[in-house]
Amino acid sequence: MNADLEKLQESNKTELERRGSIFNIGAPATEAVTISDQIAVGFGDGTVRFFQSGSDPKTVKAHKGVVLSMTNYEDHVLTGGDDGRFLKISSDGNIEEIFNFGSKWVDCVASHKDTKVCSSGKTVYIWTKNKDKPQTLEHQSTVAGLAFDNKGKRLAVSRYGGVTVWKLNNNKWTASNFTWKGSHGTVTFSPDTKYIVTAMQENQIHGWRINDKADLAMRGYPSKIKSFTWVGDTPYLVTSGSSDAVCWPFDGKEGPMGRKPIVVANGGKELATFVKALNGEKAVFTGFTDGSVLLAEIDESKKPIMIRSSTGSEVSTIAISSDNSQILIGDMKGSILLSSLWADN
Amino acid sequence: MENTSQVPVTVLTGFLGAGKTTLLNRILTEQHGRKYAVIVNEFGEQGIDNDLVVDADEEVFEMNNGCICCTVRGDLIRILSGLMKRADKLDAIIVETTGLADPAPVAQTFFVDQDVADRTKLDAIVTVADAVHLSSQLVDHHEAEEQIAFADVILLNKVELVEDNDIVKVNDRIRKINPFAKIIKTTRCDAPLDEIVGLNAFSLDRVLDIEPDFLESDHDHEHDDDVTSLSFVSDTPLDMDKFQDWFGNLLRTKGQDILRSKGILNFKGEEERYVFQGVHMLMDASPMGPWPKGKDRSSRVVFIGRDLDNMNLKEGFENCKSA
Repeated sequence: MNADLEKLQESNKTELERRGSIFNIGAPATEAVTISDQIAVGFGDGTVRFFQSGSDPKTVKAHKGVVLSMTNYEDHVLTGGDDGRFLKISSDGNIEEIFNFGSKWVDCVASHKDTKVCSSGKTVYIWTKNKDKPQTLEHQSTVAGLAFDNKGKRLAVSRYGGVTVWKLNNNKWTASNFTWKGSHGTVTFSPDTKYIVTAMQENQIHGWRINDKADLAMRGYPSKIKSFTWVGDTPYLVTSGSSDAVCWPFDGKEGPMGRKPIVVANGGKELATFVKALNGEKAVFTGFTDGSVLLAEIDESKKPIMIRSSTGSEVSTIAISSDNSQILIGDMKGSILLSSLWADN
Repeated sequence: MENTSQVPVTVLTGFLGAGKTTLLNRILTEQHGRKYAVIVNEFGEQGIDNDLVVDADEEVFEMNNGCICCTVRGDLIRILSGLMKRADKLDAIIVETTGLADPAPVAQTFFVDQDVADRTKLDAIVTVADAVHLSSQLVDHHEAEEQIAFADVILLNKVELVEDNDIVKVNDRIRKINPFAKIIKTTRCDAPLDEIVGLNAFSLDRVLDIEPDFLESDHDHEHDDDVTSLSFVSDTPLDMDKFQDWFGNLLRTKGQDILRSKGILNFKGEEERYVFQGVHMLMDASPMGPWPKGKDRSSRVVFIGRDLDNMNLKEGFENCKSA
């Protein structure tokens, strides 16, 4: 490469790329979660790697195939794989197999305090403290998303035809069904637990107000929505799937009903593939199909900041350390950027 | 969109007892030196030779896309997107369907879901047929007829159990439903795997090789709901606008009865060949490079479906010829 070109590329790097570290893992980054001062990332080669500022990542050979799902659990991570294993992994590399489903995949995992949950096929398995045998919840089709509310009293399970919300009373789970035609994937409760929202197989998201099951259909996307995140105190549900980060307001009695979303972080001809809130701020990181990442305030008059330049591979995960000091960005080619968010760090 | 990183997918259909499991066992146990993922229903076997077996429930979902007959395999969308996250590259993916399955939802999945379409391509629908029982199955079961109609390749299996003149009869019966599938006569599914997996059968080149006389001469049938085929050829270049109007409207209004449509088209003023293929109301069309040197630039379309005689197909196609 000639020296001028090299200089030009160096100058095209963002501030965060210049001061951060780049790791090329060679397998798609599938999930990332924060545990204490580390960020755990699952990959398409079955490894979970623990990243920490100032040192090389620690690699744990966890699954035979792909790490399909991951969540944090106390100071561990829970992972589900296409090798049928549901694992609990500590950052020093200790692996505990919670269950082995054989040739069935472990598609989704969730946790709340000391409760561990996973799904395989149409069944959700729940392990509570000091019990060896899991409770099971059956559904009419394969489970595609799991989410606890913030108190851990309700578990939303998305599937074909809608969402089943299970409520825990006296150690028994009872079901309430929220119906909308089509196939529902990732699911989330709003922070005030008044709404549930799913990303659908079609190019739309769907929500329900829980108390009266009123429907909120949020359409108009050019592609499937693979990621959403709750931002700020309003709060906004910010979603991928468009050339901008699309921000739906969930304040007031009606939430986004009859209102237009705010759009920020325009990616030009690239589509947003991953979004992640900056904790405590009314701002969101948006990753795009070309690997670039923008940080934008939820304010259409403000200009976004380029965080990561294009890598040619779509952004598949973003995580922020629990003290808000570090950001980790991963893509489908397995390139990882770990960098401090603030210049004086 | 042609993309070299798309993994080819072979869909395996066939009636109960026809020999699908025999074929799956061969794929999983033979030293083929490739890396396959095999998506099965309750198979209970482990792959050797580093193949991957994925257990699936066949889940057929309706789409909310306004396409009234559009159903897809929801489990397949989930599994294919999971397989595409693997670090190692698969040479091919094989999807088994249950004996009574309608092949349409699995084929439609590759048209409807953008993520699936970007990263995989439907390579061929392979149907295993039982030479002994196919004739009676075609009378008794709708699904058997659809599996023959949808196929790109048909393994006519268990031929060792059938007299030669009966093989000719069952062969003719298949040809009446589907004249463009490649028929391979087998004993215990003993066809070479490279004639089954990784064919690029959906690339449509074979449409050119069908004998037009055979197609047009013979479509007498016993019942109105029999699956038949029709084919048309034109040496006059076609008008692109007229063709799109006619064909788009045809699929919208008659797509439920048209199981498969395929064609290679010579449009006036266009240097490249255009190819299309459809499954019910959905279709894909794209340019496919220049015409082969020394070959006629003739357009050819093939339809397989029910009630084709009442769709004015010949007249519609003739009207697309450029003035």
